[in-house]
Amino acid sequence: MRRCSAGLAAAIGALVLIGQQSDPAAQRIQQGGDLTIGAVIALTGNANLYGQDQRLGINLAQRWFDGRPRTAGSPAPPRLRLQLEDGGSDEATAIAGFNLLINGGALALIGPTLSQQAFAADPIAQRLGVPVVAPSNTAQGIPQIGHYISRVSAQSSVIAPLSLEEALRRDPSIRRVAVFYAQDDAYSTAETEIFQEALAARNLNPVTVQRTQLADNDFQTPITAALQRNPQLVVISVQAVAGGNLIRQLRELGYRGQIVVGNGLNTPNIYPICQRWCDGILIAQAYSPDLDTPINRTFLRLHQGVNPEQPPSQMTAQAFTAYQVLAEAITRLQQQGRLQGANLGQARSRLMQELLSGSYDTPLGPIRFRADGEVLQDRFFVAEVRMQPDGRRGRFALVRDLSLASKPATSPPERGSP
Amino acid sequence: MDVLLQTLLNGAAAGGVYALVALGYTLVFSVLGVINFAQGALFSLGGYLTYLLMGGHISVSGGLPGWGLPIALPFAAALLLAAAGAALLSLLVERLAFAPLRRRNAEPLLSLITSLGAGLVLVNLLQLLMGAEGYAFPAGSLAGLPAVVSLGGARIRSVQVLLLLICAAVVLLLTLWLEGSRGGRALRAVAEDPTTARLLGIDSDAMVRLAFLLSGALAGLGGGLVGVSVSLPGPYFGIGYGLKGLTVLVLGGLGSVPGAIAGGLLMGLAEAMVPSGASGWRDALAFAILFVVLLLRPSGLLGRRLVEKV
Repeated sequence: MRRCSAGLAAAIGALVLIGQQSDPAAQRIQQGGDLTIGAVIALTGNANLYGQDQRLGINLAQRWFDGRPRTAGSPAPPRLRLQLEDGGSDEATAIAGFNLLINGGALALIGPTLSQQAFAADPIAQRLGVPVVAPSNTAQGIPQIGHYISRVSAQSSVIAPLSLEEALRRDPSIRRVAVFYAQDDAYSTAETEIFQEALAARNLNPVTVQRTQLADNDFQTPITAALQRNPQLVVISVQAVAGGNLIRQLRELGYRGQIVVGNGLNTPNIYPICQRWCDGILIAQAYSPDLDTPINRTFLRLHQGVNPEQPPSQMTAQAFTAYQVLAEAITRLQQQGRLQGANLGQARSRLMQELLSGSYDTPLGPIRFRADGEVLQDRFFVAEVRMQPDGRRGRFALVRDLSLASKPATSPPERGSP
Repeated sequence: MDVLLQTLLNGAAAGGVYALVALGYTLVFSVLGVINFAQGALFSLGGYLTYLLMGGHISVSGGLPGWGLPIALPFAAALLLAAAGAALLSLLVERLAFAPLRRRNAEPLLSLITSLGAGLVLVNLLQLLMGAEGYAFPAGSLAGLPAVVSLGGARIRSVQVLLLLICAAVVLLLTLWLEGSRGGRALRAVAEDPTTARLLGIDSDAMVRLAFLLSGALAGLGGGLVGVSVSLPGPYFGIGYGLKGLTVLVLGGLGSVPGAIAGGLLMGLAEAMVPSGASGWRDALAFAILFVVLLLRPSGLLGRRLVEKV
């Protein structure tokens, strides 16, 4: 009996030892070794359009970080290794990507692309104490998943109403508003609520609300119904390609009024879809290529090297920012010697503290974080799409630069020409 | 009145495309008794081929950024060539995903999986080559056509009218060919009873290949038509149409050509009739119709009741 008990105890001991050794959080950080930043973004599925913009942003940030000039006598920067996993466009693939990277020893994670993926995957990182920086999750409640979860993408509720204000400023006589949104998309339904609340606050009740589906691209029927109500303003919350088609078909079917669109259309990828019909649509943005700061100029230069045809999208800028804030926080940690002798779990915890306490000069403008991981960004922009005569290329021309910390800029800076 | 006409036209245009996809399924199902799940991918391929043949270029995130064919064909020629390309690829799918299993008398269920695999590979290859961006055909693709036409007070995009007319013409031609030509009759004979058809000297394998060629061409045509109408939203866009076509196939009656046409039109019209404020529930309605029809007529609208001999 005693021999049996001793054998059992030895077996349990061996299992505990093996378990400890295989737990990546217990592994000691190697001095001068690579530190892995994992990224889980949508490279396949419906959201891959955004994922490709994000991959570009992360790669540009990596290039920027690795190519930064070193001042003489300063310590060597940390060696960061990027590991990119496809998060698909669904929750299960995002969870699998998170698990893979966490178990592979990633110090921190960037992603996932969609808010509804984040609600599924972020709790895993939170439970295991792995810092997450979301580059594009704008739904309410993401940072509140836990103290390891943060984001650099400002909430829709902050940004979306700004473009509405601009449309009403241009035409205060607007009374008849038509609303379109994709009812099977968490982001679109959340955003349309914000738009509709902003309309209600101005005593504007939509004359029609047209619900579409995420995969819809033929909008003849809902547009026909909406146009029968003679709207003066159309407000759209759908994803990029569907939105491009919706705008094109609205114009083709004779709508001439103003169009305000949400964050889903915040990508130059809509230009080839709605072509010359994109001209004039209004959108509020968390990023403007017209922002004249050194880091944004660097970002634009790097982007132009890869894609000289188009300025970067907000998604690309936010993904760049996500990598940048992590890289800068890790650098500070290393310079303070706080990674020395730490195991991965301790390093992750210290990184999260450092990340939240820092302030960052990014292509989005200066940002910092609230204690709960919510981004604090002061500058937002309202842009108008201006298409070139060929109808294939265009730009988000800045019409208002708004500082929410102070009063909005008074006169719209008109830059460039259509 | 004009609202009703508008609704009918919208529904008929959508239904025409569904009928094209369903006809593709029907042809293969009637000769092999299996469903070719790669049909949706061939639909996507048709759209992209039409785009490239019209002089379109690959975007920066594609496998060959900026690349394009050195030709820019008019829409009609591009559409026909794209249909031919999709037909050839459909034949390849038959060779790779169906023929080996058929030779070994494998369970028909297995070819569902191999065709699904072939479709997924094809869509992923498209994504690798073309990137994930949406592509729209150039604004002047349908030179000479106004953007909108007025019919009895209803305003409809002229591309929708064109789409409806082409779908109707293709369906009519295919029906005439199946009913009146030697090849069509041979195909129907194989569909009816492959063993007897073989005894009558009909090359069943050739008919299977013909069915795949035709179904691929129909998918390619559908993809090109939808592409010029509402753009190419990404490599996966054909999968949605494929699923809708599958619904129409079951709704109309498995293996029934008139059923595929009737089912497609019914589905398109039913979707268009959904009240505008609830248009987001269209898919739910489509499957509710399917559910009700199958409860009342398990063999579909125009399908034949299958009697199993024991």
